[in-house]
Amino acid sequence: MNPLTQKAESVEEWLTLLRSRPELMENVTFWHTEPARPPRAVQLPDNIHPKLKHALKQKGITNLYTHQAASYHAVTEGRHVVTVTPTASGKTLCYNLPVIQKLLEDDSARALYLFPTKALAQDQVAELQELANLMEADIKTHTYDGDTPPNVRQAIRNAGHIVVTNPDMLHSAILPHHTKWVKLFENIKYIIIDELHAYRGVFGSHVANVIRRLKRICRFYGSDPQFLCASATIRNPREHAERLIEETVALVDDNGAPAGEKHMVFYNPPVVNKQLGIRRSSVLESQKLAALLLKSGIQTIVFARSRVRVEILLTYLQENIKHELGAKSIRGYRGGYLPKLRREIERGLRSGEIRGVVSTNALELGIDIGQLQACVLNGYPGTIASTWQQSGRAGRRQGSSVTFLVASSNPLDQYLIQNPDYFLGRPPEEARIHPDNLLILLDHLKCAAYELPFEEGDTFGGEKLTDLLEFLAEEKVLHRVGNRWYWMEQAFPAHNISLRSAAQENFVIIDRTEGHRVLGEVDRFSAPTLIHEEAIYLHEGVQYQVEKLDYPEKKAFVREVNVDYFTDASLAVELKVLHVDLESSSGPLERQYGEVTVMAKPTIFKKIRLRTHENIGSGPIHLPEEILHTSGYWFSFSEEESAKRSANDMQMALLGLANVLIHLAPLHLMCDPLDIRVVPQVKALHTKRPTIYFYDRYPGGIGLSQRLYEKHDELLEEAGRLILGCGCLSGCPACVGPIEEVGLLGKDLALSLLRGTRTSS
Amino acid sequence: MSGLRERLGRLRQETSEAVIADLSVNSLPAASVAETAIPAERERDSSIEQESRLPSGFRQIGVERMSNESGQFLLRRIEYDLPYRHGHYDLEELIACASHLHPVAMRQNRESEAIDPYRLLFLDTETTGLGVGTGNVPFMIGFGYYSGNRFIVEQTLIRHPGEERAMLTYLLGHMKDKSHLVTYNGRTFDWPVLVNRFILNGWRRSGPEPGHLDFLHPARALWRNTLPSCRLSMIEEARLGIHREHDVPGSLAPSLYFQYLSDGNPVHLHGVYAHNEKDILTLASLSVHFGLLLSGNVQPDDIEATEGEELFRTACWLEQHGLTEASERMFSLLPDMKGIDDGGWGLALAARYKRAGRHELALPIWRKSAAKAEASALPKLEAHIELAMYYEHREKQLPTALSYAEKALELTQRRSRLISSAAKRKEEKDGLQHRVARLREKVSRERK
Repeated sequence: MNPLTQKAESVEEWLTLLRSRPELMENVTFWHTEPARPPRAVQLPDNIHPKLKHALKQKGITNLYTHQAASYHAVTEGRHVVTVTPTASGKTLCYNLPVIQKLLEDDSARALYLFPTKALAQDQVAELQELANLMEADIKTHTYDGDTPPNVRQAIRNAGHIVVTNPDMLHSAILPHHTKWVKLFENIKYIIIDELHAYRGVFGSHVANVIRRLKRICRFYGSDPQFLCASATIRNPREHAERLIEETVALVDDNGAPAGEKHMVFYNPPVVNKQLGIRRSSVLESQKLAALLLKSGIQTIVFARSRVRVEILLTYLQENIKHELGAKSIRGYRGGYLPKLRREIERGLRSGEIRGVVSTNALELGIDIGQLQACVLNGYPGTIASTWQQSGRAGRRQGSSVTFLVASSNPLDQYLIQNPDYFLGRPPEEARIHPDNLLILLDHLKCAAYELPFEEGDTFGGEKLTDLLEFLAEEKVLHRVGNRWYWMEQAFPAHNISLRSAAQENFVIIDRTEGHRVLGEVDRFSAPTLIHEEAIYLHEGVQYQVEKLDYPEKKAFVREVNVDYFTDASLAVELKVLHVDLESSSGPLERQYGEVTVMAKPTIFKKIRLRTHENIGSGPIHLPEEILHTSGYWFSFSEEESAKRSANDMQMALLGLANVLIHLAPLHLMCDPLDIRVVPQVKALHTKRPTIYFYDRYPGGIGLSQRLYEKHDELLEEAGRLILGCGCLSGCPACVGPIEEVGLLGKDLALSLLRGTRTSS
Repeated sequence: MSGLRERLGRLRQETSEAVIADLSVNSLPAASVAETAIPAERERDSSIEQESRLPSGFRQIGVERMSNESGQFLLRRIEYDLPYRHGHYDLEELIACASHLHPVAMRQNRESEAIDPYRLLFLDTETTGLGVGTGNVPFMIGFGYYSGNRFIVEQTLIRHPGEERAMLTYLLGHMKDKSHLVTYNGRTFDWPVLVNRFILNGWRRSGPEPGHLDFLHPARALWRNTLPSCRLSMIEEARLGIHREHDVPGSLAPSLYFQYLSDGNPVHLHGVYAHNEKDILTLASLSVHFGLLLSGNVQPDDIEATEGEELFRTACWLEQHGLTEASERMFSLLPDMKGIDDGGWGLALAARYKRAGRHELALPIWRKSAAKAEASALPKLEAHIELAMYYEHREKQLPTALSYAEKALELTQRRSRLISSAAKRKEEKDGLQHRVARLREKVSRERK
């Protein structure tokens, strides 16, 4: 440590300093050091084109890491490949190498690259162009997205060797106009799908259908491309890739890239009220750790789980370190910032001009921001895969890096921080998709019929195709002639179908503090709870109050304010069972899986004071009810079990158990925590018994509650372990919920309810 | 099947309203059909129908069945003996003036051979939707051509998408000896849609692309500011003297075709046939209009231009196509026309004189426009600014320049009382303030 500047020479030195501070160290529950890993490399394959060899040499690449070589060989053998290695392991070369090699051998060959976001696509093009320049080869690489100017588009369609785009653009612009892309589709050799793990849930289910359409078009033009996929670490990369592209895939996961020493530190904020089980706020603790790092000159990224958290953390941090660094060197980053601002922040991070950034998972994907030294996770990111991805933002090939996981009082955080083996030992979660969700499938069937007529004997998805086609013919969308079905409607189907269900219906936020300017946007599902009237909306650390929400027009008008609270809204949910598909019972418990209708309506919002987080007021929210038909899983307790306790006690017990279960559910699913919801009912309409329901928050369901149905026993067991392991006396936010919510006996009630299920089964 | 419908119904409950709205659009009754309801002969089953006669609804209007190596489709053929008058022009006139269209072809194609009226194919398609996506099907292709002493219109129709191949084969046969497609927006719509169909039928584009004579762009150049729209129906009525009665608007064509598909009644299509036929004739009339214009023999009086605007646009268009003499003749009439001081085409004309260095011709227009602006409640500033520049840089009369600039600034204030200040206005005002300040400084320096 330099005594004058207070800057640390290295992360290593900073960690020594940390170890000497007992007031911090007593909160460290677990410290895992991943030793530095030497590279495992093999020679470049002999048949690599001399130009490519030369270009790689100029970039300092004379060998391949083992995974790069394995992937190259698998591709050469003609197999579809999925590569799974951590952040910054030279993953892109796994697919760029075979692609460039092919283009050098055959100038007419074409490749299509898919990235989940525009920003990633642009990074990739820059990298490919650099390589092409080094080779002095005429390899034309272009992004094709909403920002591509019309005059450039035509050139790309005719002459682009590599077209880099996103699934949305493929869906709405390329496939429906495939006749303009004859050159691409006739000669397509490779389709690259990076960030494979991002295509899960609803989005992934849509993308799987877009790929069905893509393959159909390729077949029409007589091509049979290979898929080269890359994914972050998930439990089921091969299975996921195979479900997404519906082909047999070779898995490459033998990471040969070197890495510097990496410290993973679990940090549990101290308990400040043992009775209530209240810990110090994870926001304040994260802020403290981040400030400590930043003040020592260590470039740091802070991840927070929500946009609001990002803004709160940013405000605190900017204030805390403004004397040392100046507020501009700490920035926020999240969806809702306009692209220009985001690019500016990415550049600043790469150049080192920006020393710290507070982000949502928006920076989790492979956007190029260089490698930072330290990472602070404010709360468990929701999935183990995300945790590794985010923590991968810190870590260079040489020198140490550190990641802090600062637990919140959320039960899942507490469960993980007290069971670190579970975190390190267990392979991460599964990515799930449900491409045959009837609504999604039917939407893409329309698009596919628009693109090419269907013929008897064709296949598309898991449902019986002729039934679906006949249905569309009855709806007068398709026209049947003999054994063929033709699109016969005026509409352009892709326009009405968004792959990201929320994206097409974003609410625009308009600041009218001075004139009118667009501040950002919020997706439809978040709108009722984030930008209802009187809500405090935070943007770049500035507070705005929503003055008017124009729901039909999807606009929120806000004005800058300066208040000492933020707002938190709640939803009231009603639920009906329509159809039971699966059921089984064990002793007093009956569990079922089927179709449900959910009616949700935002009710009130609370005003919560900054820093102390006390409740200082509330107000109603007047917004229409949303109706959702989806799939759900539920289990109900026997009448004997309910006879044992009063209705009120049963309610507390159910609520407590539901709180624990919903937080644990993501251990088995790879989904946004908001994709799966829970509703406890003391006397459910359907079963007439005490019941806990789970449902997928997407019409038709996407397979999440079905998975929970399968994992039912494990789930309950984990719940019991969590409640027993919690250090609080009678219930806290880290297990069954705060005593304000579940009462003074909440913890015991939930435990006894659980015990009842076990003794009798 | 019913299970599927039920499941979908449940999932889509929230969107049911939209579905209902959708269906009601499709089932709109067509105005022209009600009068002659003839019982429909259903002809789904093509094996029976091959033997039988066409439904009377087709025969009434002269539609016949055609066959070629790719299958069957329907054809309607109408012959017009020349001379045949369609609106102001006679179709026969094109024989003489078609060659003058060459400059238009040169602007629209990389190269173009001479225009031979007998090698033009006048083309208009009726499609099932909008846009040039692969699912948009041209169910009717209408085309016309000169043959000997006749103008012939042929209209192909497919009774279902399975007949498309035969129809396209027939079209390609007719395109073989033609040099140009004459269309209205055909370069960006009809032709790309047809190219889609060729590719979807497994034919790659081989051989040369047809030349294009697309009159949408010339029409816009002339009438963009003087007609409410540049749709073909608007142009023919306002400028070609063509009046249609009981016309079925082209936008209804898709839903009429869908109705035909669902009940097999050809009467739904009568209006579409008539509309498409008229469109082809109008394309020929429009060609005559532009051909005559480009022949250079049109007198300004012949142009239905009561306003200077249209005469000015016409003159500019002729100039762009190399008819300097004819355009000069029109330009020379403009200074005496009404509206020259309105701040529109008058200033554009003055700018043209200024570029040519003929300030003496520009000056009176600026003066008139400035005077008019000063009397207006919503004044335009351009004339004052031009005058300020002229006196500053040409005449070196700084005080006069200053007074025009100051006047302009004063006018911005008058205007800002009525219109809220947008960013562009502010920029304009800043520019003026800068100009005034600079002129003032120059003037005071000169005085010293």
